Amino acid sequence: MLIPNIYTEGIASGWKVIDGAKLSAPQTLEADVAIVGSGAGGGVAAEILSLAGLKVLLIEEGALHTSDSFRDMDELRSFVDLYQEAGARATSDGAIAVLQGRSVGGSTTVNWTSSFRTPPLTLKFWADQLEVVGHSVDEMQPWFEKMEQRLHVMQWEAANANNDVLKRGCEKLGWEAHSIRRNVKGCWNSGYCGMGCPVNAKQSMLVTTIPAALQNGATLVHRVRVRQFQHADGKISGATGQALREDGLTPSGVTVTIKARHYIAAGGAINTPALLLRSAAPDPHALLGKHTLIHPVVLTLAQMPEQIDPFYGAPQSIASDHFQWLNGATGPMGYKLEVPPIFPGIGAGVLNAFGKPLQEELAQLPHTSAVLALLRDGFVEQSPGGQVRLADDGSPILDYDLSDYVWEGVRRAYLSMAELQFAAGAKRVRAAHLDANYHTSWEAAKRELAELPLKKFRATLFTAHLMGGCGMSQNVKRGVVDSRGRHHQLANLSVMDGSVFPTSIGANPQLSVYALTAQNASALAKELGG
Amino acid sequence: MTPESNLISGGSGLQRRDFLKVGVGFSVALTLGTAIVGCSDAAKAPAQGFRFLHPGDVELFSALAPAVVVELTNFDEAKRKQVLGEMLGVVDGTLFAMDQHSQKEVRKLLDLLAITPLRYVLTGVGAWGEAGVDKMQAFLARWRGSRFATLNAGGNVLVKLTASSFYLLPAARASAGYPGPLEYVFNAINT
Repeated sequence: MLIPNIYTEGIASGWKVIDGAKLSAPQTLEADVAIVGSGAGGGVAAEILSLAGLKVLLIEEGALHTSDSFRDMDELRSFVDLYQEAGARATSDGAIAVLQGRSVGGSTTVNWTSSFRTPPLTLKFWADQLEVVGHSVDEMQPWFEKMEQRLHVMQWEAANANNDVLKRGCEKLGWEAHSIRRNVKGCWNSGYCGMGCPVNAKQSMLVTTIPAALQNGATLVHRVRVRQFQHADGKISGATGQALREDGLTPSGVTVTIKARHYIAAGGAINTPALLLRSAAPDPHALLGKHTLIHPVVLTLAQMPEQIDPFYGAPQSIASDHFQWLNGATGPMGYKLEVPPIFPGIGAGVLNAFGKPLQEELAQLPHTSAVLALLRDGFVEQSPGGQVRLADDGSPILDYDLSDYVWEGVRRAYLSMAELQFAAGAKRVRAAHLDANYHTSWEAAKRELAELPLKKFRATLFTAHLMGGCGMSQNVKRGVVDSRGRHHQLANLSVMDGSVFPTSIGANPQLSVYALTAQNASALAKELGG
Repeated sequence: MTPESNLISGGSGLQRRDFLKVGVGFSVALTLGTAIVGCSDAAKAPAQGFRFLHPGDVELFSALAPAVVVELTNFDEAKRKQVLGEMLGVVDGTLFAMDQHSQKEVRKLLDLLAITPLRYVLTGVGAWGEAGVDKMQAFLARWRGSRFATLNAGGNVLVKLTASSFYLLPAARASAGYPGPLEYVFNAINT
């Protein structure tokens, strides 16, 4: 059965798609609006602005990879083609692995489809504490509805065995749990969302808003890295980019010049602050690249008596907020419980073992359940988040330290997750931590987890959610951009991606980016006379 | 897959302080070691067929491979050679794709391990090619069990790069009980 390649057909019908690797001479590209980054923010903005009749240029550093190249359903290929730094992105000290997308569609091409509205307590915190306006629950509702409809966000009841562990454990313990809505249409329930959906069922930017924008006459430029905005007198005058070679990494030497009336930075919470830092964007209150939030992730691993096959089936369908809002938005750190899919490659990384133990644990993969906790960072002073800065060559560096406040949350999360896995029937459980051992009873596990040394490089730490660094606030002393994503000092610059979030979201952030961008891009379209 | 490579420069906060306890010694040793032993230009360039790994790094990862992935010893020689080649290719491609900061940190670690006297002091291994599985495992265990975060970081990055480079390969599927791409979907879209 042939899965139609949307792009082959589209390009044949006249879509304007430029591959930077094929450029041999300097280019100047002009548009009404130039959007840097084609993920959740850039994709939604491109559709809305092009629909309003504006000439849109969408520029992506990663390459255009489509369903044709996802047909192998191969983990290695996906890391190389679709992830930042081939899946090896990490914080500056290497302590936290960063899973972030890098191709047309950004992280939406590889995310696990979990779709949550921004939690009401998060929106309220922004309004009450951070001088954010226009994004209350009531004001956001139509935008959530619009994007849920656009991206076919639907209820998903068929939990695979991996998610069922979480469901069962919560039921046993009387903890809150709910099914996760997903942005899929005609999903085959394969479980390969993270490697690029092979059947175009995931309603990522790659198959929805970007094709729509191209249909509306937008131009997509891929394998071009925007290096800098030029600006003077509070206004951006142009942008320059480097075309990349076929490897998608090394510049070919061909320069791309971009001229537009308005510019949108949408490269995500690591690359957008880096672009603005490289551009020496005005930053009178030293806020740029600060307060980067990551939902630090810790995990526990369990061997179940039954076969779980944690690689097959919709990756995430059950979540628990039982420990997320115990004290409202503040107080001791809250966390959301979910499960990750585990394929062999990423599984080896999570296990972080070698020799016989690695061999024996991975041989048990079909019976292995992992539960993860997303820690809700950035809501209290003791959780200030991290910082993006620049390497000599202008590439981004992310610093992120874990305070005692965060580590206390890590310990409680380990305990919750181990208790849950035992309640679901696990034979043995361990934390994903260098000093953790398997235990066959909850009592024994509890004793060890209470004493486990909580330090970087001993605890396995991940993030897949990058937020902040260009936080929004009406108060110029507190935000890089205003509540509509407009840069406070550069009149014709907007930021539309996760970097505008002034705290973490407290849930997988894709739908938050979609809805906020839809709202802000619609306002921008009106203003630009679209 | 995960670079954890802050061996020399340390990071911030806690781990920088941890590093300083041993760090001065490392830095001085690295400088002296480089000055005394020197490094030929050929040793500083990627090995033939590689984009990041120097010849000495290839020896290191070749020695790490059977210590981290004991399955390799179950393969016949031809298969072992082929799989090792693929693993080295994955490690090299991953390091090549890293941004500058991570590349520099990993490079410092690898350069340090390339200096014989230092390697011997830090890892107990004289030559990678002669170390054998037990010695390599002892080195990894020592680094990861150390109270110094910088050694933990170095041990972790070597283990994770090596382990992932194997388990990302089709050759590893059987060892991980992974039957491969979900059959009914794979067959439907590939015929």
